[in-house]
Parts: sequence; C-alpha cells; structure tokens
Amino acid sequence: MIPGVRVPLFELFLAFLQVGLVAFGGGGNAQLYQALVLKRGWMGEREFLETTALVRILPGPIFANAAAHLGMRLGGLMGAVLALVGVLAPGSLLMLLLSFAYFRFGAVPGSLAESALDGVAAAAIGLILATMVRQAPVALDSLKATVLAVGVFVTYGILHWPLLLVLLVHVPVGVSLYWREAAHPWGEVEVPPHG
Amino acid sequence: MDEVLQVFLTFLRLGALSFGGGMANLPEMARVLIAKGWVTQQEFADGFALGQFVPGPNMLAVVFYGLSAAGLPGVLAALFGMFLPGAVGAIWLVKGWQWMARSRWSRALRKALVPIAMGLSASMVLILVQLGVDGAAWLLGVSVAALLIHRGVPVVWVMGGGAVLGVLVGLVLA
Repeated sequence: MIPGVRVPLFELFLAFLQVGLVAFGGGGNAQLYQALVLKRGWMGEREFLETTALVRILPGPIFANAAAHLGMRLGGLMGAVLALVGVLAPGSLLMLLLSFAYFRFGAVPGSLAESALDGVAAAAIGLILATMVRQAPVALDSLKATVLAVGVFVTYGILHWPLLLVLLVHVPVGVSLYWREAAHPWGEVEVPPHG
Repeated sequence: MDEVLQVFLTFLRLGALSFGGGMANLPEMARVLIAKGWVTQQEFADGFALGQFVPGPNMLAVVFYGLSAAGLPGVLAALFGMFLPGAVGAIWLVKGWQWMARSRWSRALRKALVPIAMGLSASMVLILVQLGVDGAAWLLGVSVAALLIHRGVPVVWVMGGGAVLGVLVGLVLA
C-alpha cells in the first residue's frame, strides 16, 4: 500500500485544476509544491522533493509527470488521471483557442500579430537561456559533465543526429561515468524550478 | 483517420524520447513536423511562441501542431501521444519508487541526465534562434529577456513585454 494521505477525488481534481490555471512560464513544480505541501499539507516536503526528483528519469515534461505521479499517490489511478487532466485542461483549451485564431485570421508575415509573436519567441528563448545559466554551475560541475553536455550539443544541435541515436550514445556513457559516484545515496543536488 | 493515427504515432515517438524534460526534443520535433508538411518553419516557431502564453507544461504547443496536422482529432492525438509515455511511467513509479530510489543505476542515470539535459537545452536554443529569430535586434531581445528572468522578473511579465515590444517594432517598421 502507498503510505500517506488518501484525498477525496473531487478535492484532488480541484487542487490540480487550480495549479493548471496559474502555472505560467514553466513554474509548474513550484506551484504544485505550494498547492500540495504548503497549502493543503497532503504530503511532506521531503517526500515531495524525492518524488519530483525521481520523475526526472522519465520522458516528457517533468511538471505533467510529477502531477500524474502525485495524483496516483494521493488518489490511486483515478487520482492520477484527474491530476493530469487538471493540469493539462486549462492550458490546452486556451492553446486551442489561440491556435484556431491563428489559423483563421492568419498571422501574415509582416503583420502586427506576427511581430508580437516574434517578440514572445525572443522572450521564450530568453527563458530557456536564463534557466540554463542558473543551472550551469550545478549541472556542469565536472569535466565529465561538461564533456557529456558538449557531446549532446554537437551531435544533436549541430550535426542533427536523430534524438534516439544521441540518447543511445550518451546515456550509457553517462551512466558509466557516474557509476562510481552513484554508489552512495547522498550528494544529490536539486535545482529548484523557476517561478 | 489515417492522418490522425500518423499524428498519434509521431507524437508518441517524440513523447517517449523527450528525456530531459520540457521541450528537449524540440529540434527533432521541428525537423519531423516540417518534413511531413504539417507546419511551415514560420508556423512551427509561431506555435512555440503561442505556447508560452498558456499555463501548464510548455509542451502544450503540440495542441497547435496537432490542429495544423489533422484538425480537432489531431489535437487529441498529439496530446495523448506526447503525454502518455511519461504519465504511464510516472504512475508506475509509485509502485517502484522505493526500489528505484535505492538502486544504483537509477542514481547514476539521474546524475547523467543533468548534463545531458543541458546539452539538449543548448540545442533547443540553437534551433529556435535559427527558426524564429531574424535579425541581430531580436538576438539582443533574447539576451535582455534572459537577463531580466535571471534577475527575478516574473516570467509572465517578460513574455508580455516581448509581445508589446514586438508590436512596437512592427508599428515602426510598417
């Protein structure tokens, strides 16, 4: 059995829906933390951090995976589904409206809508850069880390290898490089998300 | 129906491969979707930009790409394909996490994924600059946005500021 609180499904859905409504700009995990740990006390801080660190090994957005995982812990399979729907539905519906508007009214090259989007795109790239700058000191703390990161960037970003091939090469190399350090459970570093 | 299945399978593959979180598979997604003729280069970049306006995981640009590829059924196909692999894994992890937290290979994998994700992010910045940023002026905009966010200005404000600045530039050039 899963340890911890079992939360009524409707309350659970509302909590995740609220997070889905306000989680702008990639701050999803921080919002989940606020909603589940600080506001409602459904789980402890340590448990929250451990589980969100763990879902990093899965493919897909960490935020959505964390929601599915936490929903499962708090309310079983139905809880997982409701949690995922809760965090995805508001943004997906809004995105659908925006996409309809885009294809209906068209963002003609040179139009104001198009230049507004150019501005947002620049800001969005800035967000990724800022996140990288923030994480770099921790993520690239050794020669092997730097070699791995540069290897991925060169093969994927510059040489345009397929992603599967890039991962098939770098993940086994990475795991063997870190095998020694992984003998001890301590020393895991968490970089908190933005927002 | 054939097209919808195509969309689902394409995004399922992209979803299953997107290690490193966020939109780490963006460069591959851009290449695949543009090659299939589902979106143009400009549309791909615009869809990504629109995705920054909505709350939730910033992978929600897949709604835009799914709609462009196969209409409303395409939206659902893209969403399911993108989010299913990670969600199924995340649900399974509830059962397996204690074993996973203790196992050595999982710790090694988590450590290795950190620098790998950095390399993926750097590739993502490169492809976005190639696709969506024309002119040195916008590169300056990218740097300013990064600086503001780094200084702690809320992300939503910076995105909104980018939109306003874009409109102003459009007005001046028009």
